[in-house]
Amino acid sequence: MSDKNVTLVTGAGGFIGGWLAETLYLKGGTQVRAGVHSWPGATRPARFPMDIVLCDMMNLQQVNQSMDGVKCVIHCARGADHEIAQGARNLLEAASRHGVERFVHVSTTEVFGNQTGKIDDTFPCQSMGDPYGDGKIEAEEICREYNRKGLPVVIIRPPIVYGPFSKIFTVNIASKLMSGNWGLYQGVADGICNLVYASDLVSGIIQASKCKAAIGETFILNGHELITWNQYFQKFNNALGLPELKVFKSETLKLTTTIKEPIRSIMKYMRYRFEHQLKSIAAKQRQARQIMKFVENRMKTTPRVHDLHLFGRQVTYQDDKARDILGYQPTVTLEEGLRLSAHWLEQVGLVNSLQTTRSDYPKVELISNPL
Amino acid sequence: MSNVIPKSNPVSNSTPRIAIIGCGAITQSYYLPALARNPAVLINTTLVDNEETQLQKLAQSYKVKRTCKDYRQILDEVDGVILALPTALHSSIGVECLSRGIHVLCEKPLAENAVKARLMVEAAKKSGALLAANYLGRITPHFLQVRQFLAEQSFGRLLSINYMVGEVFNWPTISGFYFKDDKSSRGILRDRGAHVVDHICWWLGGKPRLISSVNDSFGGSEAVAEVNFEYQGCAGQIRLNWFVDIPSRFIVECEQATIEGEVYDYHRLWIKKSGRTSEIQLKSVTKTQIDIADKIITNFLDGIRYGEQPIIPGEDVLNSIEFVDECYQNATRFNMPWYSFAEVQNV
Repeated sequence: MSDKNVTLVTGAGGFIGGWLAETLYLKGGTQVRAGVHSWPGATRPARFPMDIVLCDMMNLQQVNQSMDGVKCVIHCARGADHEIAQGARNLLEAASRHGVERFVHVSTTEVFGNQTGKIDDTFPCQSMGDPYGDGKIEAEEICREYNRKGLPVVIIRPPIVYGPFSKIFTVNIASKLMSGNWGLYQGVADGICNLVYASDLVSGIIQASKCKAAIGETFILNGHELITWNQYFQKFNNALGLPELKVFKSETLKLTTTIKEPIRSIMKYMRYRFEHQLKSIAAKQRQARQIMKFVENRMKTTPRVHDLHLFGRQVTYQDDKARDILGYQPTVTLEEGLRLSAHWLEQVGLVNSLQTTRSDYPKVELISNPL
Repeated sequence: MSNVIPKSNPVSNSTPRIAIIGCGAITQSYYLPALARNPAVLINTTLVDNEETQLQKLAQSYKVKRTCKDYRQILDEVDGVILALPTALHSSIGVECLSRGIHVLCEKPLAENAVKARLMVEAAKKSGALLAANYLGRITPHFLQVRQFLAEQSFGRLLSINYMVGEVFNWPTISGFYFKDDKSSRGILRDRGAHVVDHICWWLGGKPRLISSVNDSFGGSEAVAEVNFEYQGCAGQIRLNWFVDIPSRFIVECEQATIEGEVYDYHRLWIKKSGRTSEIQLKSVTKTQIDIADKIITNFLDGIRYGEQPIIPGEDVLNSIEFVDECYQNATRFNMPWYSFAEVQNV
């Protein structure tokens, strides 16, 4: 038994990594080292007086330095899609050389691709040609390779994770709901939304980092209850205290979403190619600025084709193995998770932000400023 | 002090010799692009940083010939310095320069607390050197216009100020000093809040009385903060966050009208009066942050050359620094029920 007691959390500036670093710090019992890709990512862990280090998983020097005295690595960093596999390899290699006693790799249920039905950890991975999912599949393979070499590795597959600090499934969904453009999508968003609240997931990951029987295993960690995506939108909308959601029919939605897709692609290209020119036009012309804002807002607050696929997927990720082996037991109900999410959104100012009083611009006055 | 050449008097019409001490993100993205508009000054500029790679990178990009790793080596050779260092270093190096009669343009915040800021102001007074502060919001057209409306009481008595800034922190800090225990002078309130509190003190013409200060720090640099204040019957609230992008704006309510502005839309204000909203477009040559930097630097160089007073003298920002100090001294932690561990109570 070594006297090392440092837990390195990679991606500690991110959503899950941030939750892990904070939880480990608050619970005590281990010295937390928060690894961040670059300094701006330290915003969240730096609220705690914890050890923060630069740990870009593609930077071998930083990876090696981060491993000094580390007993356990919890790898939450994502990086660019094309870096997922190599980044995991770099960390696993360094962990092996430093005699790390446990390596927990946070993967995703996206490795199952588009498979439907009740899926557990015995199901094979399915490549969808999506760089993120494929990167995660390859990273899992590398984890197993290092486990065979003697590094004690555990793989965790979370589904949809929500809660305070979540950009994708909390901030973005709240913004869409608040826009008034989002709604309930009959016959489209009736797929299963496998939601797990952040602190439940983190508890499971910590259990996996300690449980001896977990070594070499892969675990799905799902949430407290199963609901559809439409139910998620409805319940989140209620938690935010917003007006009733509009109901969209599937035929119309599919058509408008398909029509909008090429517009999205053109906008993305224009933004990438002519960002400077567009900004310049927007700065000079009020109407152009308003049109750009309107179109951008519409695109952000209406579903994409990719979203429709996700919202319609009839799949349930089974976490019985985690419950049996790890003693995993999610405790946060959806109602409670959404209440906490809404509270956080209010605290950061997304909900109850300063509302503008201007709805029209009847009069324009010019004032020359000496500067 | 016998061999010190006081530089408090104008140095003649020749091009001032300046040094930029600190070659991090602010020098790279703000000071050097602005200085590049004035090649005669740039050629006489020395870049100083103890991080050699970054130093050489910037020197090559901007064709600056003189570089130095230790600022002490160039103090006899310059008329003025731009301090673009981690905040905790402003005061000690600033006082050293000012005491030697070297003019100082200091990046915001002027210092990590009011005591240290005052040392700089005193050193400047004693030597006669200029101490200018880069609080750029003071020369953006819309903030200036609000100040003018309030000073002239254009819409009657001031009733309230609400100011909200929310942006995911993405400043490309190279040293990461914001987040390092030994170098940080704390989080968003000291950094982004330095501008916000300065605008408010400047608009009010004095330091407000703190009502409450809450943030999310567990002993480190806070990323979310809320401050409530009062000043001569005007109630105010500041809300800041580094986690979520939200529309950053201010609403200034007066007896006869409400003034609204977007923090990053320098040339427009909206006035709501008698149920109607009108847009004011502000004509100004100041369009970008580099234009602002250019003005601040030109003013600093004119101060060195012709004795012109700084647009933003260091002394003028003491109120805001004192107020931020009070916010920290009286801060309590937000109720954050998502940290539902018993251990939280002990942190």
